Amino acid sequence: MSYIKTWAIATLAVAALTGTSAVQAETKGPVTDPIGVLAIPKGAPIQFGGYWVMSGADSALGIDAKRGVEIAFKDHGGKLLGHPLKINVEDDLCNAEGGQTAATKLAANPNTAIVLGSACSSAATPAAPILWKAGITDIGTADTAPSLTAADRKPEYDGFMRTCYSDIDQGAADAKYVYGTLKAKKIVTIHDGSPYAQQLAMVMGDNFKKMGGTVLSVEAVAPTDVDMHPVLTRIATEKPDVIYAPIFVAAGAQLLRQSKEIPGLAKVPLIGSSGMMAPDMIEAARESIVGFKITYPDVSPEAMGKGYPKLVEEYKKEFGEAPISGYHANAYDAAELAMKGIEKVAKTDASGTTYIGRKALRDALLKITFEGTAGPIKCDAHGQCAQFKPAVYEFTNGDPKTFKIGENPKKIWP
Amino acid sequence: MRQPNPEDARAGRSMIPRLSSLARFTFVDVILWALRIGVVFVVVGGTIGTLLKGRYGAAQWFDFLVFGLTIGSVYALIALGYTMVYGVLRLINFAHGDIMMTGAFAGYYVASTFAENGMLDRSPVLAMVIILVVAVATSTTIAVLTERIAYRPFRHVRGFAPLICAIGVSFFLEQTFRGALGASIRAYPDPKWQHEMIDVFGFGVPRVEALVVIAAIVSMIVLYLVVQRTRMGTAMRAVSEDTDAAAMMGIDVNKVVVFTFALGGIMAGIAGVCYAFVFKQVYFFMGFTPGIKAFGAAVLGGIGSVPGAMLGGFFLGLVESIGPALFLDGIGIPAPYQLRDLIAFTLLIMVLIFRPYGILGERMAKKRA
Repeated sequence: MSYIKTWAIATLAVAALTGTSAVQAETKGPVTDPIGVLAIPKGAPIQFGGYWVMSGADSALGIDAKRGVEIAFKDHGGKLLGHPLKINVEDDLCNAEGGQTAATKLAANPNTAIVLGSACSSAATPAAPILWKAGITDIGTADTAPSLTAADRKPEYDGFMRTCYSDIDQGAADAKYVYGTLKAKKIVTIHDGSPYAQQLAMVMGDNFKKMGGTVLSVEAVAPTDVDMHPVLTRIATEKPDVIYAPIFVAAGAQLLRQSKEIPGLAKVPLIGSSGMMAPDMIEAARESIVGFKITYPDVSPEAMGKGYPKLVEEYKKEFGEAPISGYHANAYDAAELAMKGIEKVAKTDASGTTYIGRKALRDALLKITFEGTAGPIKCDAHGQCAQFKPAVYEFTNGDPKTFKIGENPKKIWP
Repeated sequence: MRQPNPEDARAGRSMIPRLSSLARFTFVDVILWALRIGVVFVVVGGTIGTLLKGRYGAAQWFDFLVFGLTIGSVYALIALGYTMVYGVLRLINFAHGDIMMTGAFAGYYVASTFAENGMLDRSPVLAMVIILVVAVATSTTIAVLTERIAYRPFRHVRGFAPLICAIGVSFFLEQTFRGALGASIRAYPDPKWQHEMIDVFGFGVPRVEALVVIAAIVSMIVLYLVVQRTRMGTAMRAVSEDTDAAAMMGIDVNKVVVFTFALGGIMAGIAGVCYAFVFKQVYFFMGFTPGIKAFGAAVLGGIGSVPGAMLGGFFLGLVESIGPALFLDGIGIPAPYQLRDLIAFTLLIMVLIFRPYGILGERMAKKRA
């Protein structure tokens, strides 16, 4: 008997401990929701959370996204349902530890209605489950790793959706370009161990093989490596037609520069990807960047949504420069989607308090469709809300001041 | 009382150590032996496998050798700073990699000015000398200031405080440069003459790599002569042997310590310029990884030993460059260069297991601890 009692108490204690942070059914005002209700008193702001990379070599990616959200708020007059709009931004440093800290901070604020971000899959991978455990939906703006919206993703990712494409589509498109347009038959892929690069290199390689090409080897470097000569010498012995390296700025610039010094590789094109679309890439590679091609979503005005030219105008007016990266439109669309969702599910009582059911919000977001600035927004059941429009850009000048997406690098395909 | 039989005693004497050494054979020893056998297996099996596959020709092996010597000479130059400071002060100067960074940054500004006004192409020798002088002056000044401001107050403090202070200095230098000059990666100028190939035993070697190796070897010889043949060098060795006795003999220990830091700073400045001209990127965090590797090289060669640091640096560079292709390719490990650091540090651990005092190190533990 005493055993049963002890076990019962222990079980209850464990349940109490683990249950403290878990969400539960709640009724506030006119709204009942299985995972919780957020009540916003009259006049209080609706608080969005945001987490992107705001410092370091990849910060253009995060600052650009935050600007997109700010413009979306401004277009709404800075208000939603009579409440002022507010965004609390955390720096996720584009890595897993940063993502975890950022998400924990945002989840600890009981008034966080919804979270936008990240721009890095390595940050979103640990962050999304932390947020969903607190009942908060997360809309990704540039985190493109396939696993985040895969059909077999774990239930803790149920609260994650994104208004950017999945690398499944980019990998397929890149393979098509390399096989079809560059007529390459044998390639080598290089990743840097990050979820983004690793998954993209894998998806691209698989598609390339399906088309009939050969992946001679899958190489890897560390993001902090500087001496690429040995790995490139090894690659040179395989005589590839193309080297596909979807990595980031520092290691990417080293590969680019050093590949030209290796006998047998001087004429083999190196193809990069979205992680290297930044002025810092030109700064790091200088003259050797001329002629370097990267695959990237098509962000030319013709390929984007109808509202895109207006967004760019506003961007220039507000921040005094052309967009510094390519994902501000995805972030704008994420903010837009979030606001539409809140408008749809929120209920306001006679005292002016607004109530938002947390699960109802997630469910509503998955059903909303609209014409976004980066293209149509329509989510599948696993939170994939945007499609990839492939393009290839080529750098034309080694001066970092000339960086402007569309001019340097300029679009060369399709 | 029966006298002990001398035969028994002899037998006993010879039996006891054998039995006790068997009894002392713990599971840690088993694991260490397994590790040794595993490493020997990978090295021998991998080498045979790679050579049988015949994937790399003589030209490739020669290239690996040159790449290894190039990065190895940078490691060696940095390792000298670690080893000299350790020899004199028993302090691991963790900021030494960052002192290399300060030299590389100073050199960057001069080099890019020279690249813009064409001097780097017009009179490359003069330009390189000026770049080197500025870089060396900067890193030496910072090394000496670091000693005066951060390390001297801790000199007689026991425990971990000096080490923690060294780590603090490392962060301070990194973040100061980040705050003042920005976090972006900058590219060193890339004049054409550096890429021209020179002929070595019938193989082509880029001029810049040959230059780096030669510069490193020359500076090391000069440093060795300074330490061995000059009065100041003799004083340095005396302080390293026994600080108190040296002080009693009238040696100004403060002067010797400053001299040691200055020598380390000079080597770091040369290393910074060599590194930057081969790898072409400078940024605030660039000193960290080479710093850690060079520290490993200094330990590998025997920390406190000047020739040991040189040998350790070259050895580490060669293992990093040749190791993955030679050992891992043969046993069919994909993407072997991802495991470059693993090989380098496994080697370090192996050396520490077999020879805790390093390749050329003396048995300091017994003499001084």
